[in-house]
Parts: sequence; C-alpha cells; structure tokens
Amino acid sequence: MGATLRLAVAQARRDRWQLCIWVLGISVLGLAAAAAVGSEFGGEAERAGIIAVAAANPAFLFLRGLPDGTGIGAVVFFQGYAFMAVLAGLMSTFLVIRHTRSEEELGRAELLGSSPIARSAPLAATLLVGAAANVLLSVFTAAGFAAGGLPVAGSAIAGLAVGAAGFFFVAAAAVLAQFLPSGRGANGTAAALVGLAYLLRGIGDALGTAEAGLMRVTSAWPSLLSPIGWGQRSRPFTAADPLPLLVPAVAAAVLAVLALRIRQRRDLGASLLPDRAGRARSSKAGRSMVGLAWQLQRATLAGWALGGAALGTVAGVLGPVVSDTVAGNPSLAELIARLVPGSQADVVDVFAAALLGMAGVLGAAAGVQAMLRMRAEESEARAELLLAAPKTRARWLAANLAVAAFSVTAVSAAAGIAASVSLEATGTTTGNGGTVVLAALAHVPAALVFTAVAALTFAVVPRRTVPLGWGLLAVGLVLGQFGELLRLPAWLQNLSPFRHSPALPVEDLDITAITAALLLTGAAAVLAAVATGLLNRRDLTN
Amino acid sequence: MRTASIVETVALVKDFGRVRALDGLRLSVAEGEVHGFLGPNGAGKSTTLRVLLGHIRATSGTVRVFGLDPWAHAVQTHRDIAYVPGDVNLWPNLSGGEVIDLLAGLRGGADEHLRQQLIDEFEFDPRRKARTYSRGNRQKAALIAAFARPARLYVLDEPSGGLDPVMDTVFRRQIRRVRAEGATVLLSSHILGEVEQLCDRVTIIRNGTVVESGSLADLRHLRRTHVRATGVREPGAVTSRPELHDLRVEGTTVEFDAEATDLDIVLASLAEADVDGLEVAPPSLESLFLRHYSRLNGQAR
Repeated sequence: MGATLRLAVAQARRDRWQLCIWVLGISVLGLAAAAAVGSEFGGEAERAGIIAVAAANPAFLFLRGLPDGTGIGAVVFFQGYAFMAVLAGLMSTFLVIRHTRSEEELGRAELLGSSPIARSAPLAATLLVGAAANVLLSVFTAAGFAAGGLPVAGSAIAGLAVGAAGFFFVAAAAVLAQFLPSGRGANGTAAALVGLAYLLRGIGDALGTAEAGLMRVTSAWPSLLSPIGWGQRSRPFTAADPLPLLVPAVAAAVLAVLALRIRQRRDLGASLLPDRAGRARSSKAGRSMVGLAWQLQRATLAGWALGGAALGTVAGVLGPVVSDTVAGNPSLAELIARLVPGSQADVVDVFAAALLGMAGVLGAAAGVQAMLRMRAEESEARAELLLAAPKTRARWLAANLAVAAFSVTAVSAAAGIAASVSLEATGTTTGNGGTVVLAALAHVPAALVFTAVAALTFAVVPRRTVPLGWGLLAVGLVLGQFGELLRLPAWLQNLSPFRHSPALPVEDLDITAITAALLLTGAAAVLAAVATGLLNRRDLTN
Repeated sequence: MRTASIVETVALVKDFGRVRALDGLRLSVAEGEVHGFLGPNGAGKSTTLRVLLGHIRATSGTVRVFGLDPWAHAVQTHRDIAYVPGDVNLWPNLSGGEVIDLLAGLRGGADEHLRQQLIDEFEFDPRRKARTYSRGNRQKAALIAAFARPARLYVLDEPSGGLDPVMDTVFRRQIRRVRAEGATVLLSSHILGEVEQLCDRVTIIRNGTVVESGSLADLRHLRRTHVRATGVREPGAVTSRPELHDLRVEGTTVEFDAEATDLDIVLASLAEADVDGLEVAPPSLESLFLRHYSRLNGQAR
C-alpha cells in the first residue's frame, strides 16, 4: 500500500497543473452559469418560459438534459449538467490512459514494474488519483454553484453528480486500457465511450415525457444506460436525492476491481487485439508525405466519422417522434414557432440543425487531432528521421493539412449523409436530402479555422501545441454552447468561428451565410499559409 | 586541406536558451573518409549532427555541407545524405518494410537489389509492425533504409548501439562497402573497437568543443604506452625516472605509462632494474578516450 500511495503521489505531481485547469475550468463554468441564470432570468415567469420551450423541444432535451422545474438551480442544472459531466468524463479518461496504456507503450511501465511492487500497483495508484481528482472536482463544482448563489445542499448534490460521472469514467477507462494496444487508441475509445454516454442520455431525454405543464421531463429508458443519465436523476435542486448517484459509483467500483484483476493476470504490453503481421512492402502511396499522413490518420478518422454518422442517424431516428410530439399539441407548435429562432422552421429542422452543429464540432476535433499528430511526430523524434529526406517542411505540413481538411469534411459529410438517409427512411422528410448534407457541410469552414490555428501553434509554439489545440476548441465549444446563456458580450461570442456557420436548414443559406463561409475558409487558408512560412524558421524540438 | 571538405564547421555555436551546447566547434570531414565523432554523453555529438542536417539552426559560426548552408538549403543537401538517428523511433502501426519503403522512397526510392540483400543480411523481418520491434530491430530498419539507396554522405549517430555482434559485423561491412564506393561517412560512436577498425580520422569533443582531431596514426603517436614489469629486483632504478607517468608500485611489480619519445630511456632503465616479466600494451584509443573523458571529473564546468 505504501508503494501504491507513493506512486499515486508521483502521478498526481505529474498531473498537477493539468488537473488544476480541468477542475477550475469545470467549476468556473458552473459558477458562471449559476450567476448568469440568476441575473438574466431572475423572474419565475421568464424561467417558466424557457423551460416550457425546452421541455417541448426534443432538440433542447437532447443537447441539454432534463428540465426540472423553474428554480434557478434547476435551470442551471438542466442547462449545464450533461456538458459538465462530459468534461469530467474526458478529464478522467485522459488521466487514466496517460498513466496506464501510454506508459506501457512508451516502456516506462517496464522500468517501474521492475521495482518490488505488485503488478497492479501502478494501476491502483492511477485509480486512486482519478478518484481523488473527482472528489476534488465535486467539491470545487459544489463550491462554484454555491458561490453563484445556489442553495448549498443542492450544490453539494450537483457537485457529487458531476464527480460520480467522472469517477465512473475513471474505472471504465482503466478497463479499456487493459484491452487496447496503444495509448492513442485507448484515448480515442475512452473518449468515444464518454460521447456514447452523452448520446444515450440525449436519446432518453429527447424521448422523455413532459409533466406538470411542461415544467418537468422524465427521461425514457435509454438514459438509464448512461452514468450521466443517473447523475441527472439526483435532481439536486428539487428532490436532492443522492441515491441514483450510487449506481455509477457502484458500477465504477466493479469496473475498477475488474481492471485490477485483469492487470494482475495479463502480460505487460499485452492487449486483447494482437498485432497482426503487416505488409512487407508499402503501397506506392505509402512512400510520400501525404501517404504517410493518411496512413496515420485513417483509423482515427474512421472513429470520428462513425461518431458523426451516429449523430446524423439520431436526427433521422428521433425525427418522427419529434414531429408527433409537436403535431399532437398545436399550442406547443405555436409556442415553438414564436420562440425558436427562424420562426418558420419545422421542429425537426431545429433538431437536425442542432445535431449537425455537434457533428461540425466533431469534424473540427478530427482536424485538430490530425494537426496535433505532427507534434507527436516531432516530440517522439520521428520527424527528425522523416525530414532528413530531401523534402521541405512546408511539404510535410501541407500533406498533414490536406489530410486534416479532408477529415473535417469527411466527418461532417458522414453526419449529413447519415441524417439524410435516416430522415428519408423514417419518412420524416422527403426529397430534401441534399439540403441536409449541405447543412452538415456548412460547418466545415469554421472547423477548418480551428485546424489552421492548430497548425499555426505547431509552427510557433511547438511545446504548447497539444494543450492549445484542444483548449481553443474547448473555448470555441463553450462560447457556442454557453455564450448565449452566460450573456457574454457579442464580440466575445463572435470570436468563435462556429458562431458564423449558418444553422441550416433552420436559417437560410443567404448571401450573408455564403460570405461568412468564404471568409472563414479564407481565414483558414491565410493561417495555414502563415504556419507554413513560420515552420521553416524554428528548430526541431523534442 | 588537400581534398575537398564534405562537412565543414567553423566556430560553431549552438545555444538552447541559456545552455551552450556547442561552443566554437570546428569539424572537418574530407571527401571519401570515414570520420569518427567521439565524445562523452552530452558532449554535443547529436546536436552537431542535427545542425548538419538543418534540423536546428546554428546560433553563430559557419556550417557547410557539400559547400552549402544546410539550414538554408536543407532539401538540396538532403538529396545526398542518408541519416540514422541515435534514438530510432518508428511509426508503431507501420510494418518494418513499409518504414523502409517510406524513408527510402522519400529520398527517391531504394535500389531493389540492395534493399533485399540488406534485409537478408540483417536478418530483418519486414512484415512485423514497428511497435513490436526491439531497439536493435528499429535501428536495423533505419540502417537498411539508409544503405538501400546510395548517398554521398552517411550521417550515422551511434548506429550500432543496439546491434548484436553478428549484426555489428554486417554493419561494418556496409560501411566498408560505401567507403569503397567513394562515399563519406560521419560516424558518431562510443564503441572504440568500431572506430579503430572503421575510421580514417577521428574528432573527439567535450562540452561542445573539439579536444582532439586527426588521423588515428597521429593520435596514436600522441598517446602513451602502458608498461607492466613483474619481479623487479631493483625498482629504484626505474621508479626514479622522471619520464614515468601514473606510476604504481606493488611489491616487485611496477606499472606505468610512458610517452613514445621516452620509450628508449625507459626500456634502458628497465634493463638495469633486472626484471622477470614484461608486458607492454600498445597505445589504445581507449586510453586516449579515458584521458579526455576523465578530465571531465573534478573539473569545474
């Protein structure tokens, strides 16, 4: 136990800054949301208005969560919880994989494992650090809510709900780390698991039944499959019931024990997926910079595109349900028509637009990740080997930019095509498949800007590329998801490229939208060109 | 300098922040020679090679590879360079064969016959994924890619560190082959036997500056011969000589080092001292190496 504790301290020390940023970031988001709702929706009637709209609109339910009355705390929890739980999940999975599979892959686990400690001690230490991080997160989140003016008891349960979701993903990632052969693959799969939890909860919530005059929604069964769904059920600011939180906590405990047992039995470096023999010769394409960039990106891209397609499919599958809900309630249709931007819009369109917007963020993430791989190539000394060839650094960057841009487009296209096909198949809409695909592709220019910014940070501040690349995407996402709610100044909200993508088919593809798309694409091209020029001026650094 | 210099650095300085990695380094590699580049860990060998490849830019001083500045003309110089880094990292999801094809392909494509021959000689399995390769196998992949296409200059950073003795022989054979074909080799190494066997000239650096440079014959001349005499009946006759260095006396055994120029005097005095047994070790590169390296200890930086 002494060794485990010592290892845990060492791991926590390695992560101290990173965890501080995650914990503070998430709790400040809670604080800001609480303060904003308190000041902007001070009156009961105003809150009843937004809750009624949300409760009647599956798109809102899917994105945000379950409305639970008109109290300030309840509104904040409804708006923010699912998102905060996703952040807690990502914090937790990255933390675990970093100290487990990645360490094994880099050979450091071997060094550590040669000391007189149990085989599973490093994993136990990681679980300990993950648990501690989520306790810390619970405390800070609760403090953030309370500081934002929410009741202390409710804040405490809300904090625990965030931490419980995070804790579940600590254990789930520990199990995944036993099975997947590479740190990158494990990170991707674990993040996809977090996405799946959000998706299942979203489907459950969108299919939920509204009660109490549209002031409350009870989710359908799919949300029971998600730790985030269980977190919502604690209803901190109305029922304040901590019992549902035991479900993810117990599941986490079971998974943690499972992971420890597997680790105790398996070989170091072994995974469920054995390495197959590769090809003795590369294809012709595999002998170029673009070919290499593509080979390195394709598996990852398949994952992102699958995520995009899943979002698109949800739009089609839930489409009929959404139409039925609204069709059976004319007063509701009228209410939505009055309050939702683009008043002519069909409620199905709003739902599709919201989902395709999320797919756009996935596309941006795929593009950013493709650029961040260049940094990994450099820091792991493969760039040195590659660039000893008579090829310019500009060509290297351009090859990766091309693959990144293709990834961005492919993810959005996958979402658009899946949405279009599933909407047709369920008979929700007919004959406007092209519009839906176009709606998905409308987010590509904004996503390209994030990709180009990642390229620029790589060219200028290589050692900061990874945190900056993901950090800027997270800021863009927060501005997009919470900018309106937090009533941030317009100029600040406008900084996010996503703000300038038209939400087709709700909004029109007018001249403003086309100009914005061209300007964003132009900005991405300029940033990429600057990055190409600057990359030549610096040393390769490990 | 008679022959043209393939690599030439003058007063080369490289700073990383406040740390000076290279401090006025002067390196000259003539065309067609195998040049050994020696120095203790952290002396600046890899940094120098990275400057020569244009991966990092010299803070000051002149650097010429084939007469060109490698920072400004990286692509042009790389056309004729094959490089093997000291710490070979490969793409985990590519097979060894794919890695070789990629690296050689970027330089214009491998000589198919050579490629196959190298894979056979190094007993390399090109179908395995790079993530499953040991350090030696990763090095083999980089070496095969480097040797599979003829180059004018081979820049090799401790290339045989992970190779077993049999593979090391294969490696040495390749060095001799490219040398016979007129190529130039700059070989950073720690393995003195390898350097003595392969290199025409040697440059030794320490703390980013050159401490010794010249042909092996020149350097040998500078070095001391180690003498060990046993059963010395009158040690006083020898031990009083001022020409002896690092003198140790244990009973009737006398050990010391002597300069080549003093050998005649020393041997005469040994004859006087009446000895039973005598061992004379020729000057080895190791002794020179140790002399320079151990100066590091006890010397303020």
